[in-house]
Amino acid sequence: MTGSPVIETFPTPTIVTLGDSALLVRFGTALTESANRAAIALATQLNREPLAGVLEVVPNLVSVLLRYDPLQSRRADIVGELRLRLFALDPAAVSASRDWTISVHFDGPDLDSVAADLGLSSAEFIAAHNARPVRVLATGFAPGFVYCGMHPDNLVVPRRTEVRPMVPPGTVLFAAGQTAITATELPTGWHIIGSTDFNNFDPAAAAPTQLAPGDQLHFVVAS
Amino acid sequence: MSAILAITRAGPLLTVQDAGRFGHLADGISASGPMDAMAYQLAGALAGADHAGLEITMAGMALKLQSGRCRIGLAGGLFVARHNEHILDWPGSVVLETGDELTITPGAAGNYGYLRFDGELGLPPVMGSRATSSRARLGGLSGRPLQVGDVLELHGASGAAPGPVALPEPQDGPIRFVWGLHADLFATEIRQRFASTPFGISRRLDRMGVRLDEPAGVFADATSLSLVSDAIVPGDIQILGDGTPIVLMRDHQPTGGYPRIGTIITADLDRFAQLRPESTVEFAPVSVDHAHQLLRNRQP
Repeated sequence: MTGSPVIETFPTPTIVTLGDSALLVRFGTALTESANRAAIALATQLNREPLAGVLEVVPNLVSVLLRYDPLQSRRADIVGELRLRLFALDPAAVSASRDWTISVHFDGPDLDSVAADLGLSSAEFIAAHNARPVRVLATGFAPGFVYCGMHPDNLVVPRRTEVRPMVPPGTVLFAAGQTAITATELPTGWHIIGSTDFNNFDPAAAAPTQLAPGDQLHFVVAS
Repeated sequence: MSAILAITRAGPLLTVQDAGRFGHLADGISASGPMDAMAYQLAGALAGADHAGLEITMAGMALKLQSGRCRIGLAGGLFVARHNEHILDWPGSVVLETGDELTITPGAAGNYGYLRFDGELGLPPVMGSRATSSRARLGGLSGRPLQVGDVLELHGASGAAPGPVALPEPQDGPIRFVWGLHADLFATEIRQRFASTPFGISRRLDRMGVRLDEPAGVFADATSLSLVSDAIVPGDIQILGDGTPIVLMRDHQPTGGYPRIGTIITADLDRFAQLRPESTVEFAPVSVDHAHQLLRNRQP
């Protein structure tokens, strides 16, 4: 295990309605390490021992989506069972993460300006960025797109004010204390710091995405 | 028995759809599937089979059956369908023989129509589904809309008559919603105005979302909030930073960071999808229990 802090407790969850066919268990309204770990722990637990009537369980940054069919299941039954699971959710039971090494070509058009905004040279920024592993916080927004973090406070920059219309798969993005990796072509308002040959989306594979929330990523400079 | 059909006219968003690619939100992929799910089901019942079919937009389409024989089912919106020169009932069903032409053009109402077959389209399922995702470019034919010149193969088509099919009663009235994930972030007065002000369906609509016009400026003063990105479901009504409401539809992005005031209920989302640009929509809040009751009552 590489340096996962011991989490004594998870934030208190709230069960929120999301339309008439889904529930959201939210561990906070801001992105924090503990809320993210709680979301991953709950999703892992619910996927390991599925709740009757729940069709799909999806971890997000600070919440877990539970999709159900209101014609097949009663919402109140699912909520009741869910409360029991939440009561028993054990912070110590978070599954061991997998470790990945991601080689990055630090050649993005925003690398120098991001480094300058942080008062660093580009080389210093790259060293600081790669100094410690980050966790996959969530997959979302687009196929195989992963949010990874959190970086320390001295590596936080806001998003760009302008959106780039399209960036290619394998673009390494940086903003808001996170590094993100694209797996498909998409528009982005994040800073582009580099690119990677790592491909996190293959629709023909048995598991279309490889990275899972909670996995640890070690970024290295591509040779 | 198989049949071969050739697309001879295609609007820009003629897509292959099935019930949807469910179970892949954790991979960053929403389910897609038909914009009007009940009409899609009806077209399938009229074709007499539960295979993937085509979603037709207002731009219409035409095809020619190059060989074989198949039964088709048609439903959704109000389109004009011609079998050779003969105008078909809509919704309706007919057998196509070798050499027959089918032409579908827009009619009096709706945005989406469905053409389904009693044979299976010879297209590979992608991640368990043939539904075309316009956002992720998956499914259908190479993840893209159909074009003139595309040839589709149907397997197992027989032309057999379907069983009796009950047609649904037309619905109208306000589009009902349940208060949303971030409803409590909107002032009471804004919530009240949202549920009592007519909105316009804008021309900016597609399978991902429908932007609403709001001349009354209900959200003009809504403060832009910085929210943690969270799960989106079809029907979510999100308010962009400039106050524009947008209803997220079947090809929605799976997560998003704009505040959502409400979510259109499942029983009314099909009807909403069929509202044409420049028509007016009113929203009415209901409880989740009421939404479930409406959904149960809707089932044939």
